[in-house]
Amino acid sequence: MAKPCEHCATNLNASDIPLALYVHLPWCERKCPYCDFNSHEQFDSSLETGYIDALLTDLRQQLVSVGSRPLFSVFLGGGTPSLFSGASIARLLNGIDQIWSIGLTTEITMEANPGSAEASRFADYRSAGVNRLSLGIQSFADAQLMALGRVHDSAQAMQAIHLAKQHFDRFNLDIMHGLPGQKIETALDDLERAIDHSQGHVSWYQLTIEPNTTFWSRPPRLPNDDILTDIQDAGEARFLESGLTQYEVSAWASHQQMSQHNLNYWTFGDYIGIGAGAHGKITKENGSIIRTRRSRSPRDYLTGIAEGVPPHQQQLPQTELPVEFMLNALRLKNGVPASLFKANTGLELAVVEPQIEKLVANGLLSADTERIGTTDHGYRFLNDVVASFMDNGAR
Amino acid sequence: MTELSHIRNFSIIAHIDHGKSTLADRFIQHCGGLSDREMESQVLDSMELERERGITIKAQSVTLMYQAQNGEEYQLNFIDTPGHVDFSYEVSRSLSACEGALLVVDAAQGVEAQSVANCYTAIEQGLEVLPLLNKMDLPQADPDTVKLEIEEIIGIEAEDACPVSAKTGLGIEDALEYLIKNIPAPEGDRAAPLQALIIDSWFDNYLGVVSLVRVTQGTLRKRDKFIVKSSGKQHQADMVGVFTPRRTETAALVAGEVGFIVAGIKDIKGAPVGDSLISVAHPDTPALPGFKKAKPQVYAGIFTVSSDDYEDFRDALGKLTLNDASLFYEPETSDALGFGFRCGFLGMLHMEIIQERLEREYNLDLITTAPTVIYEIVTKDDSVINVDNPSKLPDVGDIQEMREPIARCTILTPQEFLGNIITLCIDKRGSQVDLQYLGKQVQLIYDIPMAEVVLDFFDRLKSVSRGYASLDYGFHCFQAAPLSRLDVLINGDRVDALAVIVHRDHIQGRGRVLTEKMKELIPRQMFDVAIQAAVGGKIVARQTVKALRKNVTAKCYGGDATRKKKLLEKQKAGKKRMKQVGNVEIPQSAFLAVLQVDS
Repeated sequence: MAKPCEHCATNLNASDIPLALYVHLPWCERKCPYCDFNSHEQFDSSLETGYIDALLTDLRQQLVSVGSRPLFSVFLGGGTPSLFSGASIARLLNGIDQIWSIGLTTEITMEANPGSAEASRFADYRSAGVNRLSLGIQSFADAQLMALGRVHDSAQAMQAIHLAKQHFDRFNLDIMHGLPGQKIETALDDLERAIDHSQGHVSWYQLTIEPNTTFWSRPPRLPNDDILTDIQDAGEARFLESGLTQYEVSAWASHQQMSQHNLNYWTFGDYIGIGAGAHGKITKENGSIIRTRRSRSPRDYLTGIAEGVPPHQQQLPQTELPVEFMLNALRLKNGVPASLFKANTGLELAVVEPQIEKLVANGLLSADTERIGTTDHGYRFLNDVVASFMDNGAR
Repeated sequence: MTELSHIRNFSIIAHIDHGKSTLADRFIQHCGGLSDREMESQVLDSMELERERGITIKAQSVTLMYQAQNGEEYQLNFIDTPGHVDFSYEVSRSLSACEGALLVVDAAQGVEAQSVANCYTAIEQGLEVLPLLNKMDLPQADPDTVKLEIEEIIGIEAEDACPVSAKTGLGIEDALEYLIKNIPAPEGDRAAPLQALIIDSWFDNYLGVVSLVRVTQGTLRKRDKFIVKSSGKQHQADMVGVFTPRRTETAALVAGEVGFIVAGIKDIKGAPVGDSLISVAHPDTPALPGFKKAKPQVYAGIFTVSSDDYEDFRDALGKLTLNDASLFYEPETSDALGFGFRCGFLGMLHMEIIQERLEREYNLDLITTAPTVIYEIVTKDDSVINVDNPSKLPDVGDIQEMREPIARCTILTPQEFLGNIITLCIDKRGSQVDLQYLGKQVQLIYDIPMAEVVLDFFDRLKSVSRGYASLDYGFHCFQAAPLSRLDVLINGDRVDALAVIVHRDHIQGRGRVLTEKMKELIPRQMFDVAIQAAVGGKIVARQTVKALRKNVTAKCYGGDATRKKKLLEKQKAGKKRMKQVGNVEIPQSAFLAVLQVDS
């Protein structure tokens, strides 16, 4: 790969890059054994007010250095955001709207647990302005839910879906597969029910064991690679019949249900991250791209905000931009327009031409010069495809 | 300066595990060469690799001052010798600096073949060989039978063999007394012009070339000028001295002594082993007889994993050959592996050690191809060529006759394992030359194809005899044999570096086991990998490494990207030690799969 020049980063036009907002609400009733996200137990509703004040301060502070761009989308993730009351969420969204006006059609997604306490608040969340829910169903089998350490059961899941349907036009069902001891039939049962009850969006993803989780230190017995692939194949076939289209590695949807916020990640758009442990990615007006990160512990976060501490920032070296871009863009089933590479990295496509040529020759990337996207074969080996854009490993 | 009459230069001949290093440690300890605190077990095996493997590879020396019972002080120069069958060449080098050798025999196990061979070398070189019975502390020690064996098998007087236990320290002083009484003092006129033999040379990053020399006549003082006889180049001795075993500078090395010399020689070929150092004032002083060059028995290609390391690799080989003249190398180009070197080794252990030294001491990532012996090919036009690389074999149509090297193998074994060993020899296509009962042991002489001997014969021999049988072998002759080249095809392409030459009777078996082994070693990739073994155009075995069906990270949103990237970096690092042949990533181990095939 040609070495990009450190001084020519200015051909990036930050104002053309969509800017979304990610809000992290870092508490959970109980930490799941597979989860490596920043989440903390011992939530107390008395924390809500202070934390939301901090989030708004955080947003004000970070927005100053970004310049004026419209708000593309909002995502409230966690943790378990639905531990927060409807009133708190309303105060949060009102605050955001005052700082950075939320458009009428702006997608505002909130992650929610299907527990009964949370589900009872769905109506309040809707009135607060949330217009899309992402429900962490994971499975409809009680035994599996128990093994996953989830706090809800399948009856509660069904009830939550029922309530979500009443109040939301758009919601996602999160379903896992490749669960401990799972067979192809039980995986398909879960998927079948998810498709049946979905409103047109299902995230269906394989359980992976991440470092710093309970499952990592005490690994459950997972299905072998062949079973996992059989599950994947059968699931994809089932989706095809259902009419939901795969648009990302783990996401299937009808067109109008696709997550705008996630699409922004995958097209290498910008996002401000507020809250404990939140990450952001910002293209500065000088054309450099930085990643921001807040302290993971809620207490440190609150203290930091009170003291006006800026988020930890790291500039992405230009040599890392191609792999960062591809890591996201190639997750999209149809890839992205080729012009997006230059628009969102500031680099000429020529810097990755040798890798692209080789991948095309090996049948892993599509030969369409207007788009950057994998072939069906390359999509299955996405990690290998992305790895070939790592600057230290190109052979 | 020690009088000639009070110098003793000696080696120890012993089988691995018979206690040579421990005995040497005892000698050093007894003579106060090191304080107890400094006494690291097995001081002489200084190469990290040597200590790990518990074997001696390189000649080392130590000079000790011994206060004898007669009240006089003696200078003992002990030159260590390697004990493994692969390194007989090094043994003869060490012996050439000595007037005597201690033959250490395990009093419980008896004489073994390698010691016999080394004893003969010592006797041929005119050394006094003194038997020593070690491990006398063991309850199963049987000194009388072992003495008888020494007399019957080796043919030296053993009645007075000195009983010792290097482990407990029993008899160490007696052994030293026995040594100074029976090993002759060196001769040599210290006033005569300098004449010294280079026994060993190695490269030190700070000092340049360091040489171990035996002065046969004259004196070499610090700052003296001398000439390296073969090149005629003049150098000045910056430093002379002895190992005690610490490197200790002295004012001079005199006739009869063994010590080191540093002369600011930077060129690694400047002081070759076996060369003579002579006085500048007397350039006509004749050279001492050098060493017979050891002939490599095993050849293999060595390649760097990354082609960027090629230059470093070449320099490293140059430095290694300085003190390992038995290592042969010449450039080789492989379609599959790129540029590398065809290297010749004394045996498999030698090959493993060279590869390990290159990787450890020079920090190189290497791929070694399957080792092969040297074949003699008679072509249709009656010319005879030597082939040390299966991929260089002429077309079958051009070959009139293929001849393989035959090793004459001497095996000593307790009688109870005789049946197992004969079966093994027959299995390895051996033919019996001689069988004799000597003491408690049987001496078997077999002619076995060298290719079979170097592959895993020694290990197999040890395993069928519970470690008791011992082996010595040497090249005997070339013999016509029905041989073929077994090619390995990866996804239909012949990989030159994987070809091996096998006996026709073994084609099916080797082909099958080789492909099975490779299937285990090649990781699953994005596509099926077909591994085929073929002779000529005919496929004799086939295995498939089924394609990996997917390699995708399930979830990835926003801030995850950094973590996912790290994960991919890890995956990628794991592949770094693999060589890409065509589209297929092949790990180093697969190139040596043939060694793990015991058919």
